[in-house]
Amino acid sequence: MTLTAEDIETRQAATALRSRLTGRRRRIVVYAARLATLAIVIGGWQLFTTWKIVDPFFFGQPTGVVTKLREWVEHGTAYGSIWMQIGITMEEALLGFVFGVAGGIVCGILLGQVRFLSDVFSPYIKAINALPRIVLGTIFVVWLGLGISSKVMLSFVLVFFVVFFNAFQGVREVDRNFIANVRILGASRFQVVRSVVLPSALSWILASLHVAFGFAIVGAIVGEILGAQHGLGLVIVTAQNQFDPNGVYAAMLIIMILALTAEWLISLLERRLLSWRPQAQTEALAA
Amino acid sequence: MQHNTFIGGYGGSSPRQTEPNEVFRSDTGAGEPGSRGIELSGITKRFRTPDGNAFTALRDMNLTVEPGQFCAVVGPTGCGKSTALTLVAGLDRPSAGTLRVGGTPVNGIASGTSFMFQTDALLPWKTVLANVAMGPLFHGVPKKEAHAKAREWLRVVGLSGFEGHHPHQLSGGMRKRVSLAAALINEPSILLMDEPFGALDVQTKAIMSNELLTLWDQTRPSVMFVTHDLEEAIALADRVAVITAGPGTVKAVYDVDLPRPRGAVQEIRFEPRFLELHQQIWDSLREEVERAYARTTSIPEGEGS
Repeated sequence: MTLTAEDIETRQAATALRSRLTGRRRRIVVYAARLATLAIVIGGWQLFTTWKIVDPFFFGQPTGVVTKLREWVEHGTAYGSIWMQIGITMEEALLGFVFGVAGGIVCGILLGQVRFLSDVFSPYIKAINALPRIVLGTIFVVWLGLGISSKVMLSFVLVFFVVFFNAFQGVREVDRNFIANVRILGASRFQVVRSVVLPSALSWILASLHVAFGFAIVGAIVGEILGAQHGLGLVIVTAQNQFDPNGVYAAMLIIMILALTAEWLISLLERRLLSWRPQAQTEALAA
Repeated sequence: MQHNTFIGGYGGSSPRQTEPNEVFRSDTGAGEPGSRGIELSGITKRFRTPDGNAFTALRDMNLTVEPGQFCAVVGPTGCGKSTALTLVAGLDRPSAGTLRVGGTPVNGIASGTSFMFQTDALLPWKTVLANVAMGPLFHGVPKKEAHAKAREWLRVVGLSGFEGHHPHQLSGGMRKRVSLAAALINEPSILLMDEPFGALDVQTKAIMSNELLTLWDQTRPSVMFVTHDLEEAIALADRVAVITAGPGTVKAVYDVDLPRPRGAVQEIRFEPRFLELHQQIWDSLREEVERAYARTTSIPEGEGS
């Protein structure tokens, strides 16, 4: 049997269509399974507490969480509107994040590039890093008071080390050949950093940003729990002290949404900055 | 005799080979404007190994590349030929000996020298155009001018239309062309090449070799071309230096008197004179290759020196 060009073409078209359909079907199944998981967990939680198998006084209830959220939106919290609490927590987290990232990148590249500096400072950095940094929160509250600066400081410290170590490692991992090549092509020391060191450390730095933003929020919330006049952390402590699990969950839900939004924005930034990478790799990252 | 130098065409052993040799010498002669020679005398390079011992990569190496000459350096794996190139490039300093480029001692990286690496040294996050334009940009040429020049060089190496691609979107051979354009755009008087076509398949390698010769012929920089492919060395070079198994030193130097232009490197391999030279040089190289091979397969003898 011989195949004509047309036969081959129709067969290829059919195969392509089939694989596209399989792809779509798979995606629908995945989404359906995701929704089912959510429904089972939330629904189960609701039913178990309604049937009193677990005590809603300790575990709260999904409907209670929704009621609490509505109450916050309509009447505000004890410390002012819910939007103000969110705004303050985000302000603290973002400031800590921005300063921490900037400081981490600058110090990481400096110490990664200048051997002398890294030899001098590495034991101290290791020592500070060994400290559970949350305990610094209490010190910052004492130093900087109950305002937002103590929370920004705690966020900063948490973010700084994550970004610093990644930037430092990224600089150390730069392909020696790339550096030798641009040096021979005539690059000055600054040009080497700008054209080779920074871009090649960038994928390390960007990878650290995902974790770093989580830490920024942790810093802000923990700082608020330790002592504050406003913010989501304060809302959580208050709810906890009033034996109101729904309030704790409602605040947690808000934080979760904020963190996921930030994560999504960072992924967008990452995809934009690393658009030069081979396609397969970016797809794997996005999945 | 450790340093046995054979110079074809000057020994007078065969009058037949004297003539073409002189002909080609006259047009590569030292008078070439802008060309600089390379001179290694008594170069020794020792490295400190992580366990604190000294490792000698090169020992008392002497080699001269005349201005505008294409010199191939062949030797077994690990004989220090790449180390010699990094020294000439100024990326590293010799432990002993003097190294001159264009008559002046090498003291760090100098402009006028280009290097083509064995592995890809193209920056993966830059486009092809930006990769080629790097050289002029580092030298302070305005961006527009540098890009125009890069475009021109990409046309020369046959990659017009690929300016906006990233290196990973190109084949191995195309990436080598980009590297070549990036190296030549600075109009070097010294071109150092470290097994530049080593990773390519045989056909692509032959094509790239032909193009390299054509481009070299237009600007005539002095070339030091490291390879372990003897056929490639003879087909391309004016002079072939054989390096001993490490620590490397020059065992013998052969002048290749095949007339230029050489034409296709695939065909020159069948010329009687090519085969004759190949036989001669291989006799000398084989010993070193065997020694290097024996070292990797048996228990290493103590590093005596």
